[in-house]
Amino acid sequence: MSRARPIDRVLLARRAFAVAGVALLAYGVAQLFLVVAWPDLVLLALWLAGALVVHDGLLSPLVLAVAAALRRFVPARGRGFLQLALVAGSMITVIALPMIYLEGSQPPEKAILLQRYGVNLTVLLGLVGVVTLVLYAVRVASDARSTRAGAEGAARTDAP
Amino acid sequence: MPDLSKTVPRPRWWPHFSSPLRSTAVTARLGRVLGIAIAVCFATGLVSELQYHPLSWLPWPAAPVSIYRVTQGVHVLTGTACLPLVLVKLWSVYPNLWRFPPVRSVLHLLERGSVAVLVAATLVQLATGYANVLDWYPFRWYFVDTHHYLAYVVMGSVLLHVAVKLPDILYGLRADVAQADVLTEVPWEENPASHSNAGDVPAPTTPAISRRGVLAATGAGVGVVVLAAAGQTVTPLEPVGLLAIRQWRRGPQQVPVNRTAEQAEVTALATAPGWVLQVDGATSFQLTLADLEPSATREARFPISCVEGWSVGAAWRGLSLLDLVRRAGGDEDSSVQVFSFEPLGAYNQSVITGPQLGAALLATHLNGQRLDLDHGYPLRLIAPNRAGVLNTKWLSRVVVS
Repeated sequence: MSRARPIDRVLLARRAFAVAGVALLAYGVAQLFLVVAWPDLVLLALWLAGALVVHDGLLSPLVLAVAAALRRFVPARGRGFLQLALVAGSMITVIALPMIYLEGSQPPEKAILLQRYGVNLTVLLGLVGVVTLVLYAVRVASDARSTRAGAEGAARTDAP
Repeated sequence: MPDLSKTVPRPRWWPHFSSPLRSTAVTARLGRVLGIAIAVCFATGLVSELQYHPLSWLPWPAAPVSIYRVTQGVHVLTGTACLPLVLVKLWSVYPNLWRFPPVRSVLHLLERGSVAVLVAATLVQLATGYANVLDWYPFRWYFVDTHHYLAYVVMGSVLLHVAVKLPDILYGLRADVAQADVLTEVPWEENPASHSNAGDVPAPTTPAISRRGVLAATGAGVGVVVLAAAGQTVTPLEPVGLLAIRQWRRGPQQVPVNRTAEQAEVTALATAPGWVLQVDGATSFQLTLADLEPSATREARFPISCVEGWSVGAAWRGLSLLDLVRRAGGDEDSSVQVFSFEPLGAYNQSVITGPQLGAALLATHLNGQRLDLDHGYPLRLIAPNRAGVLNTKWLSRVVVS
């Protein structure tokens, strides 16, 4: 009996999450059908389908292709650091790109999108690059030290 | 042990994934943060909905004055952070898209359908929400209603997803990041070759970036985005606001504007010397421009907090709205509707009641100067914990009932 209890708790939690989830989901869908006009609903459906196509069909294969190219052309030690920079850098770029596109699109009194976001993105990516290079340099130095220590250790063992 | 005899081998041309980087342990950790962020976004979004459709038994308090500033700042910042975060989360489970056979049973079809709804709704919700704070509308539908109800779809499908995946989530969070299963297109519990089923073996080798590296880089990406974007609402972060959408410093009188006088087409009416404020109630009366100046002595510091996530503290001076309401025969329990002479627009009037009414000013001055035309000259409403657009500008009429 005591062994069965934790399994029941998980099952209970799953049921509670499922009931709450289906209820919210059904309410949201029903309200969308009630509130949003038909032509806009069709457009929304196209956007939803488009999001899947763009993400699963374009963006993800592109990321896989970049990863494959890195595996092919960049040695493992450097690649790890390049990947670190690319993950953080792409996340920042995703947010910055629409800003660059919309820069200065509004009256200046609104104080919106007045920065030079292309320059700002370059600064942020530069920052990511510098931090990554420092981490890489530390790694290269520590690898060299351990190789030397290993060689010296080996030399001592070889001594008569 | 699942019945593996039913597993159909995938065709040779079918995409297949072997990178040891992806793991249920990585996904569970990303998903935990993303799930919490989406829940916070949902809750603060519902709080904001109470600005537009207030509940009579739950009026917005007048103090502390920054409640809405905080909840809406958090809403927009977490939503912004979720956008790149969800992309990393989806990267971590991309092999699941290519399971073979694509559909094994009705239940499996339902599960895959629910994931499709989750992913599509989340991506569209985050992308259109972000477009809205950029004042960019590449979609035709009315943003507020769609964003409001799509949020229920997102939150509901997140909860359903947790229900479906709870055993994997528990395994993933319990497992050591470096040691746990290799997530391929065949999930660990159905894959006898998966690292997790292979007994006590060394951790899978990730030749370049490590799993912890992926989590660290994701954390760094989110951190930079939040720090660089927060300057539009967290004043001390303004100097590092390289991705701040609004800059309060560059607005007229150091406050940004959401709708300019020119956009609202009010310039002629607002600058007419014969302007009067019509106050209607049991005792109706009018105020002229000459009446405003001597009676505008009440001062207050209220932030102006926009639904789009920017906010800034400001010093206001003006007339107490409640004083005018009393003069018109009303009291603090009155419902007061204020009208702008802005001809069009969903926010050319608003209703104010309860604690907000008690604290509200009809402002003539902002940060020590006569109100700028873009801030609602000659007279605007300002009250604490009130979404920016509900602080009606260019007032022409007040109705007390």
